[in-house]
Amino acid sequence: MDYVWLIPVLPLLSFLIILFTRPVIYKKAGIVGTLFSGAAFVGALIVLFSHLENGNFLVEGNWLSIHALTLTVGLEVNPLNALMLVIVTLVSFLVHMYSMGYMADDERFATFFGYLGLFTFSMTALVLSPNLLQIYFFWELVGVCSFLLVGFYFYKPEAKAAAKKAFIVTRIGDVGLLVAIFLLYWQTGTLELDGIFSAAEAGELTPAMITLTAILIFVGAVGKSGQFPLHTWLPDAMEGPTPVSALIHAATMVAAGVYLVAVMFPLFTASDVAMMTVAITGGVTAVFAATIALVQNDIKRILAYSTISQLGYMMLALGTAGYTAAVFHLTTHAFFKALLFLAAGSVIHAAHEQNIHKLGGLGKKLKGTALLFLIGSLAIAGFPLFSGFFSKDEILASAFSNGSYILFGLALLTAFLTAFYMFRLYFLVFSGERERNEEIKESPRTMLIPMMVLAVLAVFSGFIHTHWFGTFLGDWLETTPYPVLFSSIDAPYWIMILASALSIGGIALAWFMYAKQSIPRNWLYGSMKEVHHVLYRKYYVDELYRTVFVKGLYALSYFWSYFDRFIVEGGATAVKGLVSQLGKTGVKVQSGQVQTYSAVAFSGLVLVLLVIAALGGYFQ
Amino acid sequence: MTGLLSILVFSPLLGIILLAILSPESHLVKRIGTLATALPLLLAIVVYSLFERGVEGIQFQETVTWFEMMTSISPNEPYIISYELGVTGLSVLFLFLTSLITFLASFAVHRITSGTKGFFILFLALELGMLGVFSSENLFLFFLFFEVTLVSTFLLLGRWGGFHKERAAFSFLIYNGIGSVLLLIVIITLFVELHTTNITEITSMLKDTDSFEFLSYNMRMWMLVLLLFAFGTKLPIVPLHSWMVRVHVEAPIALVMIHAGVLLKIGAYGLIRFGGGFFPEQLQDIALVLAILGLINLLYGAFIAFVQTELRALLAYSSISHMGIVLLGLASFNSVGVQGAIFQTISHGLIAALLFLLIGVLLDRFGTTRISELGGIASQTPLFAGFFLAAGLASLGLPGMSGFISEFLAFLGLFESMPVIGAIGVLGIILTAVYILRAVLAVTFGERRPSFDRKMDLSATEVASSAVLLILIIWIGVYPAILSNTLRTIGIGG
Repeated sequence: MDYVWLIPVLPLLSFLIILFTRPVIYKKAGIVGTLFSGAAFVGALIVLFSHLENGNFLVEGNWLSIHALTLTVGLEVNPLNALMLVIVTLVSFLVHMYSMGYMADDERFATFFGYLGLFTFSMTALVLSPNLLQIYFFWELVGVCSFLLVGFYFYKPEAKAAAKKAFIVTRIGDVGLLVAIFLLYWQTGTLELDGIFSAAEAGELTPAMITLTAILIFVGAVGKSGQFPLHTWLPDAMEGPTPVSALIHAATMVAAGVYLVAVMFPLFTASDVAMMTVAITGGVTAVFAATIALVQNDIKRILAYSTISQLGYMMLALGTAGYTAAVFHLTTHAFFKALLFLAAGSVIHAAHEQNIHKLGGLGKKLKGTALLFLIGSLAIAGFPLFSGFFSKDEILASAFSNGSYILFGLALLTAFLTAFYMFRLYFLVFSGERERNEEIKESPRTMLIPMMVLAVLAVFSGFIHTHWFGTFLGDWLETTPYPVLFSSIDAPYWIMILASALSIGGIALAWFMYAKQSIPRNWLYGSMKEVHHVLYRKYYVDELYRTVFVKGLYALSYFWSYFDRFIVEGGATAVKGLVSQLGKTGVKVQSGQVQTYSAVAFSGLVLVLLVIAALGGYFQ
Repeated sequence: MTGLLSILVFSPLLGIILLAILSPESHLVKRIGTLATALPLLLAIVVYSLFERGVEGIQFQETVTWFEMMTSISPNEPYIISYELGVTGLSVLFLFLTSLITFLASFAVHRITSGTKGFFILFLALELGMLGVFSSENLFLFFLFFEVTLVSTFLLLGRWGGFHKERAAFSFLIYNGIGSVLLLIVIITLFVELHTTNITEITSMLKDTDSFEFLSYNMRMWMLVLLLFAFGTKLPIVPLHSWMVRVHVEAPIALVMIHAGVLLKIGAYGLIRFGGGFFPEQLQDIALVLAILGLINLLYGAFIAFVQTELRALLAYSSISHMGIVLLGLASFNSVGVQGAIFQTISHGLIAALLFLLIGVLLDRFGTTRISELGGIASQTPLFAGFFLAAGLASLGLPGMSGFISEFLAFLGLFESMPVIGAIGVLGIILTAVYILRAVLAVTFGERRPSFDRKMDLSATEVASSAVLLILIIWIGVYPAILSNTLRTIGIGG
């Protein structure tokens, strides 16, 4: 445990080595990055096992003290962040390895691995943070890495716009988190999680303040996790290289929002309003994004909307007091969504095409990729015995036993939609016959092996927490040092059957529409054109934001800019005019005419005499 | 070490004398010019390392009585003006900042095509003035050095500026001239009433409970308002800023680096040292006004920066916006916020210097700073793009860089005393990201333009200079105790 600090430092070293030796290291950067991230993963495993043996761990030191203010830095290991650490380093390691194949032909190969190292450093440091300032610190750094990697193809205008959007939209959320930090500091006198929770328990915070700060923290989570209404950046972020989408925009960074709410769970559970906000936002986002995913055509964007939807699912779980359910789903989702993205990357790598209508029939050419994608799809669809099945069931159970039946309904609907759109994607890409007959080759082994590892996890990771033979994950999470509320879940068994039915029903419907084609593919477009259009245009949210916020900002800025040019500068010119006028008057006085001078002198003398007379001859 | 400060302050004289006897055509001019700025830097590092952290009061004090004046009104209390130097934790940081930025800016002077010798002489005079300003322990001396900086800036701007240099120089002179007059009024009033211009003495005399005999509350308030105008022009506080935008756009880059990096900070320094030091009660009473002014600076600057089409003007408004945070931190009137304000002045000095150093490169290679004429240059000049992006991220307050901790402390302080103003102010954090990214990405990202294919990337000297600034920015961002240790004894009133 004393060497926990090595886990973030290893990828940081990888970043620094690559940064400074970039011109010479070139292709070896991939090996360096993979080795260091692999070492970090081994470290994370050691930490995990030593936590199982020795329990929680915390070390802190002073970072900055100004008079009464003391800010600390530290490292913490508890069940939640030990788990996150394993997920982050594992996916990072696999993505590093995969990228050696995927990015092989890229000019900026070394830079790419440098950025991956920087991201892994920031993300692992984020999950090891025991105080809010440190969380915020690395929260922003992972944001910047995301920005850099989304804009990796900087010469593409779309990538430039997407990178900018990713940064700015998430920053709007971040400001919420920042304000919460300020408020919590002055209310509790500390930014350490421990201190905040005990202050909240001791009643030092008013209920209104708890609600306010919890919601502000949630605003930060909404931005990072792409929840409605700050979700617009995440689909655009797909402009980045696909391994990045798998690592950052599916498995790890976007899950940081869920992680943050889980970390601050004791604060959230103290406010019903905050919990309700989280649950409703999550539920609405889950359905909202799933419906958009139904009609999109870009393979990566469908997966991006799916990610938004699944993160909404996790938020819904948290909002209905399903702490374990959310963390569980976060884990399984990280594996199967990373798998899906990497498999999608394998398709893109082979076919150089992202539009699913132009793909098709790839199942025969890319047998390995097709099988891996199928496993991922079954897992996310919640097909019985796959990992998603267990974690989704846990969320449904949590929503149900919380008594919020509307949210439970939303969750069920999402489960059905998810199964449908995933298999729409699967059948369109892999089933049928390939029309064009160009050379399509299966991806190299460096890409297939990481996917296989993830596939194994996507199948089996559900068994870490089932009500059949052991809720290992839940039991372990309960050893957290913080006062987290673990609600007992008491759900009827029919939920599981219903969920399986919905999952299989969704898959079947997709099969009928896109594989067997006994239902016309353009059924929605044909029967409800407007609905299709609204979904296809993503409910016009981007258009709305562009009209209201972007144009509003321009209008305001131009207004002040003209104000500055005409009113302020005008005033300045007036002042300057006054000064030069004064100067000119001075020039006139020095006219050189002796008569004027003597006239002035004489009147001055008269004035002085008058003053003396008026004062009675005294000056004082 | 007595006399060390004097040696530091007047060390640029050596360069001035050497240059004066050198022929203008000599190829040594540039080398001697840069070496002459290296000497103060070395001395400033010595002063900084000898400075004892956490010790109250003035260090490296030097006092020589300059002249005395007897008056018939009070023959027993002569008016004394002394040559007094000394540094506090605040000024020692500024001395280092000044000498470092001047040294780095001297490389930008090398690009000046005509009259390099004259430029360097004035440039060194400017440095002398700035070093004097930050080490004066006496108001008259402060004023003298302050005027040296004004005159040398005026001459540099008027002779080597851009197309509208005369207008810019004139507007600089008027605003700063008025500012000086107001400052002089305050100094003379204090001198007449307190018989001294020693800063420490004035501070302690005004702290004395029965000092209201000398100066009534209203009188002090007036003086504070005058100081606010005098230093507010320098900072600048909106709407006293139009001169400063012109200087940013018209002045030669070496001067802009110093102007944005150090000269504007004299405004902040004066407000903290004199406004807060002499009249803390009055400052507290107008804290709300200060906060509102800060808020206006922050948002007004950000909005206008967003629609600028020229990088230098954009960065000028960005400076205005960032100086708003200094005002907000001061207005919070608690130790955290005030430290935030000081952090911000240092941090912004480094970041602005780095940004303008890079703008200088841009101007040199591409001949323009108009955003629309640039774009996609990361393809041809990746090193430049990397540093420019890093500088931009520092400017928008990325954690791990100095801008973040400054903003964080200023806002943290502000949220204690004025949460509502703070809540509006954080909008500035979003707006800053918006306009910085717009500018940085518009220049470096985008499609490759074949016409830029022969443009040269950063030279070794430019990389080294940028790296020095960036390392300091990151150092402060990661280990802010480096500043707070030096500033430990500094608060409002000290």
